[in-house]
Amino acid sequence: MTEFREDLNPPRVCNMTLDGDAVKFTEGETIYEVAERHRKEVPTLCYDDRLEAFGACRLCVVEVEGVRNPVASCTTKANEGMVVKTKTDSIEKHRKTLLELVVSENKSVDVDELSGYASQEFATLVDKYRARSGRFLGKKSGTSNTKDKNPFILRDYDNCISCYRCVRVCAEQEGDYAINVMNRGFHTQIIAEFNKDLRDSNCTFCGQCVQTCPTGALGDKKALRDADTEGEVKKTRSICPYCGVGCSVDLLSKGDKIVGVQPAMDGPANEGALCIKGQYAFDFIQNADRLSKPLIRREDGELHECEWDEALDFAAAGFQKVRDKFGRHSVYGIASGRAPHEAAYTMQKYIRASYGTNYIDNCSRA
Amino acid sequence: MAQATNKAITEQWKDEPAPLLPMLHAFHNRDGYLNEESITAVSDALKIPIAELWGTVTFYHHFSREAPGKSAPRVCTGNICCLNGGNELYESLKSEGATEMPCAGRCDDMVPVIIDDKALVGTTKESLVHRATPMPVPNPGGIEECVFASIREPGRSTLEGYRRTGGYSALEKAVTTMTPESLFEVIADSKLAGRGGAGFPTGLKWKAVAEAPGDPKCIVCNADEGEPGCFKDRTIMDHDPFAMIEGMTLAAFATGAPLGFIYLRYEYPETEAILENAIEDARANGLLGENILGSGLTFNLYVRRGAGAYICGEEGSLLNSLEGKHPFPRNKPPFPVTHGYNDKPTAVNNVETLASVPHIVEKGAEWYRSLGLGDHPGTKLISLSGDIKRPGNYEVPFGFSLQTLLNEWAGGPKEGRTIQAVTMAGLSGGFLAGDDLDITLDDGCIKPLGSFLGAGGIMVFDDSRDMVEIAHGAMEFFAHESCGKCFPCRIGTQRMTERLNGAGSALELSDWLTEVQDIGSTMKATSACGLGMAAPNVTDSLMKYFPEQVESHIAKK
Repeated sequence: MTEFREDLNPPRVCNMTLDGDAVKFTEGETIYEVAERHRKEVPTLCYDDRLEAFGACRLCVVEVEGVRNPVASCTTKANEGMVVKTKTDSIEKHRKTLLELVVSENKSVDVDELSGYASQEFATLVDKYRARSGRFLGKKSGTSNTKDKNPFILRDYDNCISCYRCVRVCAEQEGDYAINVMNRGFHTQIIAEFNKDLRDSNCTFCGQCVQTCPTGALGDKKALRDADTEGEVKKTRSICPYCGVGCSVDLLSKGDKIVGVQPAMDGPANEGALCIKGQYAFDFIQNADRLSKPLIRREDGELHECEWDEALDFAAAGFQKVRDKFGRHSVYGIASGRAPHEAAYTMQKYIRASYGTNYIDNCSRA
Repeated sequence: MAQATNKAITEQWKDEPAPLLPMLHAFHNRDGYLNEESITAVSDALKIPIAELWGTVTFYHHFSREAPGKSAPRVCTGNICCLNGGNELYESLKSEGATEMPCAGRCDDMVPVIIDDKALVGTTKESLVHRATPMPVPNPGGIEECVFASIREPGRSTLEGYRRTGGYSALEKAVTTMTPESLFEVIADSKLAGRGGAGFPTGLKWKAVAEAPGDPKCIVCNADEGEPGCFKDRTIMDHDPFAMIEGMTLAAFATGAPLGFIYLRYEYPETEAILENAIEDARANGLLGENILGSGLTFNLYVRRGAGAYICGEEGSLLNSLEGKHPFPRNKPPFPVTHGYNDKPTAVNNVETLASVPHIVEKGAEWYRSLGLGDHPGTKLISLSGDIKRPGNYEVPFGFSLQTLLNEWAGGPKEGRTIQAVTMAGLSGGFLAGDDLDITLDDGCIKPLGSFLGAGGIMVFDDSRDMVEIAHGAMEFFAHESCGKCFPCRIGTQRMTERLNGAGSALELSDWLTEVQDIGSTMKATSACGLGMAAPNVTDSLMKYFPEQVESHIAKK
C-alpha cells in the first residue's frame, strides 16, 4: 500500500535557469523538453518526441554551468538549480559545423516535400544555420538501396544521416524490428534482415520510417509519383476510412488530385501512427472503376445505375421477402470492422429489432 | 568428434549469463564464419530480432561472414607494427586470404598474426612462430613495484605457484578480519584510481555499488585493452592471472556482487584459455563459486570474449555488448555503479586496477600511496613501444620522469636517431614533442599540455618518421573504430583521416588548418563518448608540434 501511495504523489516541481530566466519544470523532464516548452527552438535531427531520446546528432547540445563540456539536452535530465544556456556563440558555431559536416556526407540537401512528413527538417536547419558552405568535402556516406522491389518505400540511403529514427520507430512504435544498423562508423547503413529487401523482412510497410525520416532518404514512393505534377501541396485533415480506430490523417493533394497521405502527429487516436492501408491504399479514391452510383441487377440480368432511394427500397424489399419466406433467423448481419461504435450499434439494433434475430456479428471477430 | 548441432550450441548457452557472445563464438568456431542459418538459430534461441542481430554481428571486426573466415590470417597493421614490417607481412599473406586488423596489443614482440585461435608473431611469412607474451624485465631502476612485484616468480601463473608466492592471503585476510566497508575504505585510502585511463577512484566506485539498490550486483573486469600501443593487461593476465581474479573476488566481497565477468578482447585467444583454466582451478579449490574460503562469500566468474571493437572498452558499450545489444555507448547518467549490467549496480574495473588490489589489501593503503613520488600515490604500468631500444612494460611510480624511462630504463632511441615525438594514452592523448618531453608521468603534469596519461601506452617515434603519416594512421584507427552513433565522431574522424592522407578537397594551408581545427573543436565539445573527444588530440598536437610538416604535407598535394 505504501508504494501505491507514493505513486500517487504529484511529481515534484523544480526550478532552473534557462537562458537567464527562472523557469519551473517537473522532475524527470529533460533539458530539451523544458527548452521546447519555452520555445527555445533547440535544433535536432535525431529527436522524435514519440521515441526514447537517443543522443546521436548532438545538435541539441547546451551549456550547463559547472559542466566542462556541453551536454546533449535530449538525454540529460533537468536538475534543481541547473543553469542552462541554449544558444551561446560557441554552441551555435558547433551546430553550424555539425550541419556542414552532415551536408558534406550527403548526396543532396533538398528533397521533394512529398517524400514524407519530416522530410524537410534537414534542409530547414541547414538553411537556418547557413550551412551550405561547401566545407569539409570528402567521401559521401551511404549505400543506396533504390532497387528494393517494393511499391511503397524509397530507400535512398545516399541521403541517410544515420540518425536511426527509422530503426527506432520500427522497434519502439511498431514493434516490428524489421530494420537495424549494419557496420559502424562512417560505414553504417540501415538494413533489413540479412541486408535483403524489405519484403523479405518483418516489415509491414506501415511507412512510419518514411514519415520520421528527416532527410527524405526514406521516401513515400506513391506520393513521389506526383512530384512533378503541377501545383502546391495542400493538406486536408481527415479520418482514415479503413477501420474503427479512427486514425487522423492529412490527405495531400495537388489541384483536384489526392497524391498522398500523411499521419497526423496530433491525431488523438493514432498520435502519428498509421498502418499500410491508411498510409498507402488510397488509389481507389480516384480510380476510374470506382462506383459513383448504386447499381441494381434488373430482370435482364445486367447491372443498371439507379438513385440511392431506389436502391435502398430494393434491398429492403429483398430482405423482407427472405424473412417472410424463411423466417426471422434467415437473416444474418455482419458489421464492418471499419465501422465506429455508433455504426456498429446501429447495425445490431437494426438486425435485432427489424428481424427479431440475434444473428449479428462483426468481421473483426472472425 | 561429430560437429555440434545448432540445437546443441544454442541449448548449451541460452541459459548462461551473458549468452550472446559465447553463442556466436561457438558457431564461429564450428563453421569458421557466421552464416544466415546460424544467425537465425541464435535469433530464435535468444529472441533477438534478426535485423538487430545481423546489425550487431556486423559491428564486430572479427566475426567473419564468409569462408575462409576464421582460419584466414589476421595481420596487425597497427601504428607500431606498420613501422616494423606489418604491411609487408600482410601483403605476403594476402594470397592466403589475410585481412588487416588494428593494433592487437603485441607491440613489444611484433608482428602478431591470428589464425583461428593461434596467436603467432614474426615479421615474415616463414618466420611466424608461437611465443608466449614477453615477461616484463626486472625493474631497471630497482624501484619497489606493486602490480609486477611478484609476476616474475616462477610458476606464478598457476594456482599452486600463486599461493606459494603469497597469493590469496589478501582474500583470506579480507574474509576473516575485514568488513566490506573496511575493504572499500582501505582501497579509497590507498588512492587507487582507474588504471584503464579514466582515473575514477576505485574505492568510491565500490562504495557506490555497495550502497546502490538492486540485485544481483556485478563486477566486470574490462580486459578489452583496445587502445593501440597498450599491452600491459595482456602481460598481467598471461603471467599473473590469479592476481586479477583475486582482485575481482575482493571487489565482490566489498560490493556484495555474486556475479562477475572478464570482458576479454578477441585478439588474446591464448589469454582466454589461461583465464578459463585459472577460473576452473580457483573454483575447484574453493576460491570461486559458493562459500569461498568457507566464509559464505559467493562469486561466480565468467570469461566473455569480445569480437573486435575498440569501443567495447568504453564501459557503456562493453555492458551493451555483454547484454547482447548493439554495442553503442550508453547515455550517461545513469552510470554503471547504479545501472550497469542488466541495469543493476556494476563496478567496471580495469585489469591493472584489479591486479593492484590484493597487494594493497595485504600491505596497506599507506604502503601503496608511498610507492608514488612526491604527492603522487601509487604506480602505473607503462607500455612502451616504437622507436626505442627496449620496448616493453614498465611499472613506474606516478611522478616518474619520462626522459629517465625513455633513455635510461628503455635504452633510448635507436643508434644515430633522436626521439621526435611520443604518444600519450596509447593514441588518445595525441603527441608530445620537443620541450614537452621533459615531463613527469602524472596527469598533473601532462593534462596542462592538452594530453593525458590514460591507460599508459607510450609510442615512440624517432626523427626518421613522417609525423603527418603517423597522425594519419592514428586517425584512420579512430575512424575504423568509431561506432557510428554520434555525428561529430562518425563524420569527423572520416574527414580528419581524409585531410591527413591528402584525399578530400585540395585545400590551401589556411583552409586546411581552419577545417581541421573546427572539426576537432566540435568533436571535442559535442561527441557522445571519449573516442570522439580524444581523437582530435592527434590533430591538435600535430599542428602544435609539427607545423612545418603539416605545411609540407599540404604543399605536396
